[in-house]
Amino acid sequence: MNGARSSRCAGEAIWLAACFPLLGFEVSLAAAANEALERPAVLAENGRVLQANAAARQAGIAAGMAQAAAQSLVAELACCQRDAQAERERLGLLGLAGYRYSSRVSLAWPTAKRPNRKRRADAAPLLPAAVLLEVKGSLRLFGDGQASATALTTVQRKMAACFRGLGHRAQLAAAATPLAALALARAGLDGLPEDATAALRQVPLACLDVSAQQSERLANMGLRHLGQVLALPAAELGSRFQPPLVDYLHRLTGRKADPRQCIEPPERFRSTAQLLEAASDLDALLLPMRRLAVELAHWLTTRRLGSAALIWKLQPLTGPATTLTVRFAAPTADAATFLALSRLRLEALSGDARGGTLGEVATIGLRTGPVTAMPLSPAASLLLQPPTAAGDSDDAPRRSSNARIALVDLLTARLGSDAIHTLSIQDDHRPEHAWMQQSPAAKPSAAGQRSATPPPPSANREATSSGSRPLPGSRPLWLATTPQPIPAQQAAAFDFLAGPERIETGWWDAAEQRLCRDYFVVVAPGQVRLWVFRNCRRDQGRGEGAGPEHPQQWYLHGYFA
Amino acid sequence: MAAVDHLLQARAGAGASLWRAREFARRASRGIGTGYAALDAALYERGWPRAGLAELLGDAHGIGELRLLMPALAALSRQDAGWIVWVEPPFVPYAPALQAAGVDLAKVLLVYAKSRGERLWALEQALSHGTCSAVLGWLAEASFADLRRLLLAARHGHTWGCLFRPASAARQASAAELRLRLAARPNNRLQVAIVKRRGGWPPAAIEVELAAS
Repeated sequence: MNGARSSRCAGEAIWLAACFPLLGFEVSLAAAANEALERPAVLAENGRVLQANAAARQAGIAAGMAQAAAQSLVAELACCQRDAQAERERLGLLGLAGYRYSSRVSLAWPTAKRPNRKRRADAAPLLPAAVLLEVKGSLRLFGDGQASATALTTVQRKMAACFRGLGHRAQLAAAATPLAALALARAGLDGLPEDATAALRQVPLACLDVSAQQSERLANMGLRHLGQVLALPAAELGSRFQPPLVDYLHRLTGRKADPRQCIEPPERFRSTAQLLEAASDLDALLLPMRRLAVELAHWLTTRRLGSAALIWKLQPLTGPATTLTVRFAAPTADAATFLALSRLRLEALSGDARGGTLGEVATIGLRTGPVTAMPLSPAASLLLQPPTAAGDSDDAPRRSSNARIALVDLLTARLGSDAIHTLSIQDDHRPEHAWMQQSPAAKPSAAGQRSATPPPPSANREATSSGSRPLPGSRPLWLATTPQPIPAQQAAAFDFLAGPERIETGWWDAAEQRLCRDYFVVVAPGQVRLWVFRNCRRDQGRGEGAGPEHPQQWYLHGYFA
Repeated sequence: MAAVDHLLQARAGAGASLWRAREFARRASRGIGTGYAALDAALYERGWPRAGLAELLGDAHGIGELRLLMPALAALSRQDAGWIVWVEPPFVPYAPALQAAGVDLAKVLLVYAKSRGERLWALEQALSHGTCSAVLGWLAEASFADLRRLLLAARHGHTWGCLFRPASAARQASAAELRLRLAARPNNRLQVAIVKRRGGWPPAAIEVELAAS
């Protein structure tokens, strides 16, 4: 690595690595980790000591020891079992905390160094996990407009304090490439990017992401520090070791690009409000709920997002929490809507239970369901639209789609989502299946079939579908949910207006869904127009059943209202 | 007397709050056309009230009570972006027939509310919300106060409310500005008797010829 190249790299980016050497301890001993670490403690996994703290090391405990051996050395040894999943989650949180200082934050989770079979107890220390940040772009912010070295120090100090506040000890180091910063941070060496080259030479090989086997071979060659390795010609190093080692060194020195996957903060909102004193009264609850709703609306508005569901969590002093989900037909970011609909839901809930279930609420939590990007506001989108004919221009804002959706939300909040439906047509000859009602929020294509009728009895087993698509005859405005049998003497008084219209289809469905019916439009006494049918029987012959006077069960299926 | 005239003029200028019988002949056609010329001629706004409450009284299903509304609903669904809300219909409004009658199904919203209180609440919300062009409701029992609330909601939301009520309700007083009693007639005709209307005494019953289906 030559000086010119490194300084050029430093001009491009400054990577800051914060590694957490005690992360495993800190996660396991969540509370009071600092005091706990004064005593001898080890982090163990599968009966082996992974890491020992300073006090334990003084007592002669080393990484790689059996846990039992360590415990025999120090009787009052604190043994923490490693929880890798929890560590990963905590590292993710730390990364989010670092997001304040840079938009390019990536996490470095050490690849497991497999200890060699036999005596590799001390050669495979646990490499600490780290957070890598590109801070070049943020330095101006912290250095009074100057991206200077003092700004970098300020950022490092602030970040260390930030992590300390979260209960973690961090070692920070800056360099021109992420891997170099990581190596420096692990080694506990800190240097500004300008003299990082010199510092890098001092990094022991154990701090590199090199496999244990390779680091052992390097050690056997008499190489102890990174500088010695970098001095070797790359081609020979590549032929003697695996190409990945050369690749790693090139990424470390910046001769090769090292793209990193940056974290993205989750698009979820979560906030809680503590009540000063527990309350079960609706009005007392609404005050903190209003604050949370406004907070959420701000959060959504700044991101131009809308939320389709709110999840309230009402936690009483004792007993289980009540979770209240408020859904909207369309994503929205309006605090007043949030509050009004939540209030309706809450009223319905406390109305049902007579105030029993909520209990004395002490904490109210609010988080959003999935959020979606919002379209431009009506005012903004009007600017982009060509002017339309000034027909009912005063109606347009009032009956905009947002306002229409608001009515659906309002009705849904009180009556429940299964009480509100829209209608659509299905391409099916069977009258029961020719329509569909669905929840207004559902996408028309994805909506669950909710044809309201149970399948009618059908006698025939093999039916033929009509080949061409005939125009349907007249259809009634009222459809009976289920066909109603008509007593014979009533049917005798029918005055036949139109028919028969044979509907014979559904052969692809289950047997009870198939049908073969002759439909008639009849006038019943009282000048009532009905849509009636009877099942035609294949076994009686096709033409025979068509006579209106044939004694057979009639069914009422609709009214020409 | 002059003061009264002055007052009357002031109120009449405001529009809906006061009407006088002698203005009936030169009334403006502000309503939603019913699609039946004879019926339009008998109604004060020459159509269904654009912001008000109408009651249809009748017991039988299948006499053409919905077909009477179809021309107006079809026109509304074409011209107006608002919902056409059906609150607790007694049967399923059959989508293919509605479409055949010219109603845009995307505007139709069905609301099922089991209890009478919920039904009234839903009607009032829909009427006053301002995003509906028509609200149809089926209410067997409703007090004068309930109907008055709904009327005010319809005025506020500038919405046509149409309530289907049993024929026996004709004996009760109602706040609705238009009340029609429906009776079946042979040959696809429907007799519409005006029980109450703005701007005059009820005229003789009108017979309208309904569309075929």
